[in-house]
Amino acid sequence: MTRSLVPTVCPYCAVGCGLYIVVDDGKAVGIEYMQDHPASEGSLCPKGNAALEMLYHPDRLTHPLKRAGEMWLSISWPEALDLVAGGLSKALREGGPAGLGFIASSKCTNEESYLLQKMVRSLGCANIDSCARLCHSSSVTGLGRALGTCSTTNILSDLANSRCILAIGTNFAENHPIVARWVFRAREAGGRLIVADPRRTPTAWGGDLFLQLNPGTDVALINGMIKVILDEGLINRRFIEDRTEGFSDLESSLEGFSLSEAERITGVSASDIVGAARAYARSPASAIVYCMGVTQHANGTDNVQALANLLLICGQIGRSGAGIYPLRGQNNVQGTCDMGCLPDFYPGYLSFEDPRTQEAFRRAWGSNRLPAKKGLTSLEMMDAAAANGTIKAMYIVGEDAANTHPCSKRTAKALGRLEFLVVQDIFLTETARFADVVLPAACWAEKEGSSTSTERRIQWHEKAVEPPGDAMADLWIICNLARRLGLNFHYRSSKEVMDEICDLVPIYRGAKPSASGGVLWPCKKEGEISILHEETFPLARGRAIIRSVHFRRTAEETSSRYPFLLTIGRIGAHHNAGSMTMRSPSLLGMAPHRFVEINPKDALSLGLDDGADVVVETARGEARAKTRSTDRVMPGTLFMPFHFPGANHLVRGYRDEHSGMGELKIAACRIERC
Amino acid sequence: MKEIFVRLDRCLGCRSCEMACAVEHSQAKSILTAASEVPVPRRRLYVEYAEGQKIPLVCRHCEDAPCVAVCRTGAMRQDPITGIVDQDQNRCVGCYMCAMVCPYGVIGQQKESRMVVKCDRCGSREVPACVEACPVNTLIFAEEADFAEILRRDAASRLARGYSMRA
Repeated sequence: MTRSLVPTVCPYCAVGCGLYIVVDDGKAVGIEYMQDHPASEGSLCPKGNAALEMLYHPDRLTHPLKRAGEMWLSISWPEALDLVAGGLSKALREGGPAGLGFIASSKCTNEESYLLQKMVRSLGCANIDSCARLCHSSSVTGLGRALGTCSTTNILSDLANSRCILAIGTNFAENHPIVARWVFRAREAGGRLIVADPRRTPTAWGGDLFLQLNPGTDVALINGMIKVILDEGLINRRFIEDRTEGFSDLESSLEGFSLSEAERITGVSASDIVGAARAYARSPASAIVYCMGVTQHANGTDNVQALANLLLICGQIGRSGAGIYPLRGQNNVQGTCDMGCLPDFYPGYLSFEDPRTQEAFRRAWGSNRLPAKKGLTSLEMMDAAAANGTIKAMYIVGEDAANTHPCSKRTAKALGRLEFLVVQDIFLTETARFADVVLPAACWAEKEGSSTSTERRIQWHEKAVEPPGDAMADLWIICNLARRLGLNFHYRSSKEVMDEICDLVPIYRGAKPSASGGVLWPCKKEGEISILHEETFPLARGRAIIRSVHFRRTAEETSSRYPFLLTIGRIGAHHNAGSMTMRSPSLLGMAPHRFVEINPKDALSLGLDDGADVVVETARGEARAKTRSTDRVMPGTLFMPFHFPGANHLVRGYRDEHSGMGELKIAACRIERC
Repeated sequence: MKEIFVRLDRCLGCRSCEMACAVEHSQAKSILTAASEVPVPRRRLYVEYAEGQKIPLVCRHCEDAPCVAVCRTGAMRQDPITGIVDQDQNRCVGCYMCAMVCPYGVIGQQKESRMVVKCDRCGSREVPACVEACPVNTLIFAEEADFAEILRRDAASRLARGYSMRA
C-alpha cells in the first residue's frame, strides 16, 4: 500500500479542527495540517497535535470482556452480544422499559448516536441521555426557551468581525485554543475583549477588561450590566419591540436592583461593571462567548437566560459579529444532542409533548412502542439505581460516569447496585470496572461517520486505519445488538444512516456532510447559514423571549469547617476524565499530576509552600494534590482541574430544576498538608 | 532574511510549538514514535511563565553569537550568509560553555549524552515547525520589516481602542 492522507476531524474538543492523518501501509504515522479548514485554518492545539498518540496505546480494549468474579474473560463477539441482549431482555421482562438506562457518547458519530436512541426508544424506553447533561444541558433549556435554538448562533470565524467580545465562564485560551485565533483577529481590528471569570485564566491575560467575580454570582453580574444599560438608555428599543417579548417584566423586575448590590454580591467594582456594560451595548457588533463556568451550576439555566436577556435588550444578535457562542466540550456533543440523545427531545430537538412528533417517528421507525413521556436524565438514572433500584440495567457508551458525575461515590454506589451493566468504550475506564460485559469499540480514526462541531458544522470523516484486535465500530455493535433484541436494524453503512437522518430530522434536512470543512445546519438550498436569527426566532410568533431572572445563592456556602470555595475546571493539556489524554505521553508530560491553585496569601497563612502535598476535603470526600501558589485565584478560592480521577468526588451536584444539570463548579472545602 | 518573531502579548501557553519542535527533531518525524525514540527528541524552544504572561523563548541567532564565540571545538558555528547558528554534533564535547553564556537559556541538553541541542531553524523546512504549529500566530516567520508593520498595526488599533473608550 502507499502513503495516503485521510482527512479527519480532531477527536477532542468541539471546535472541530480538521487535520489529515498520514497513513502508510495501513498504519497511521503522522498528521498534516489542513490549511483550508474553515474553523481552524490548519492550526491545532497540543491535544490536536497529539491526537494520534492514543490510537496504538497498549491499554486499548481489543476483545469483548466478560466478568468472572474479580477477573475478566476474553470472549467472542457472538457470545458477548448474546450476553448483552440476554441481560437487557431480562431487565426488560422484569422491570419494563423504565428499568433500563442508556447513556450515549459524544465521542461517537451522529449516525451511531442516532441509532442508539432509535434502538432505546424502539424498545419503549425513554431513559437515554448523554454527557451533555453535565455540560450544556443548561444551554439546551436556557437558550432553547429564549432563542429557540441551542447552538452557536454564528460560526467561529465570525468572531473576527466582533467589535466587543464578552467571554464569561470560558477559558478558551486553554480549552478551545483555536477560538482564541478568531478572538485575536477581532482584537487586531480594534475589537475589545472583556473576560469574566473567578480565576485569572490565560484567557483573562489577553482581555482589555477583566471582571474577577465571586464564584456563582454570574446572574448578579449580568443583571448589573443590564441595569446600567437600562438606566443609561443603551437598549436597542427597535429590536426589543420588533423581535422580543417580555421586556417590560425585565424592566420592572430590576427596579429594586442596584449597581451597588451587584458590586457587593460579585466583588466586581461598579465602575468595571459600567465599563463592561457600555462597551458591550455600544459596540456595533458584540458577541458573548461562554462555557462551563456559566452552565455547570445549580442555577445554570438562569445564568444562560441572563446572558440571553443581555444580548436581546441590546439587539446584539443576528448580524455578522453579533451573537452568542456556547462553546461545547466534546467533538460531537452538539451532534449527540442534535440526534436526540436527551431524555426530553427526539432528534432535532422535537418535543415529546407534540403528538405530531410522536406520530412522525412512530411511522418512520415502524414502531408502536415509542415512549410517551420524557425519561430520566443521566444523573436521575444514577439516583434511581443507587436509591431504590428502579433502574436495574444500564448501557453506557464511552462515558466515564464514575469519574465525571458529581459526587462520584454515589455514582459508584449506583453502578455497583446495578443488576446488569454494559460498557462500550475504547479503554477500560473506572466505569468499565463495574461492568458485567465490556464491549471494545473503534475510535474515531478507525471508522467513518459524521460529527457536528460547536458551530453547527457537520463534518464527515473517513476511516483511516483498522481498529485494534476485535474492536468494532459502535455502529456495527449497535446494529448487531438491536437485531438480537428483535429490531429491524439492517444498515450497511453510516451513509445509509445519514440518509435516514437527513430525511427525518428537520435541522439536518438536505445536509450532505463532506470531509474537509463539511456543511452547516440548518441547510438551505441558497447556501450556508453562518448566522442564525437574522430575521426571526424559531419560537411561537417568531419572537425571542426575555425572562427576568434573579440572583440566588445555589452553591454550597463556606463554613468554619470548610472555609474555602473550591472551583473545578479544565487545563490545556488534558481532556475530560483523561482516559485519552492520560494515555498520550506528550500531553501527560505537560501536566503529569493533579494540582490545586491557592492564593499566595492563603498559602502563607496556612504555611503551605509551593508544591506542598495537600489534601482537599469537602463533605463528600477528599482528593490529594500539590499546591500551586498563584494569584490567578482570589484569596478564599481554590482551583483544581477535574481531569485527574477523584476531583468530582468533591462536588455535591445540586440540581438545576430546569435542566437537571448538577452543580459541578463550586464546593465548600478545607485544605491541609498531608 | 526571515526570522522567528514572537508577539509577546498573545501567547496562550498551549505549548503546541514545543510539541511540534520535538516531533520535527525526532528521527521518524512522527508524534506516534517520538516519545519512545532514543535519544528522546528534545524541544528547542521554551514557553516560560513570567509576570502573568507566557513568553515563548526561541534562539535569536544573535549576530556575533556568544555561544559560537565560546565554543572551543568549533562545533557551534554561524552561517555567514543566513546568520543561522547551528552545531555540529560530531564536534560537540558537551562542555556546556554555550549553554552558560546564552542570554536566553535556549541551549538545552540532550538527556542521553553530553551534547547540547538548540534551534536549527528547521533547516529542511520552508517554515519552522514551531511557527506552523502556533494556533494563534504568536510566532511569526517574517522579514523584520514585515513584522514591524504587524506591530505598528497592533499599536494603532490599541491607540484607536483607547481613544474610543475615552469618548
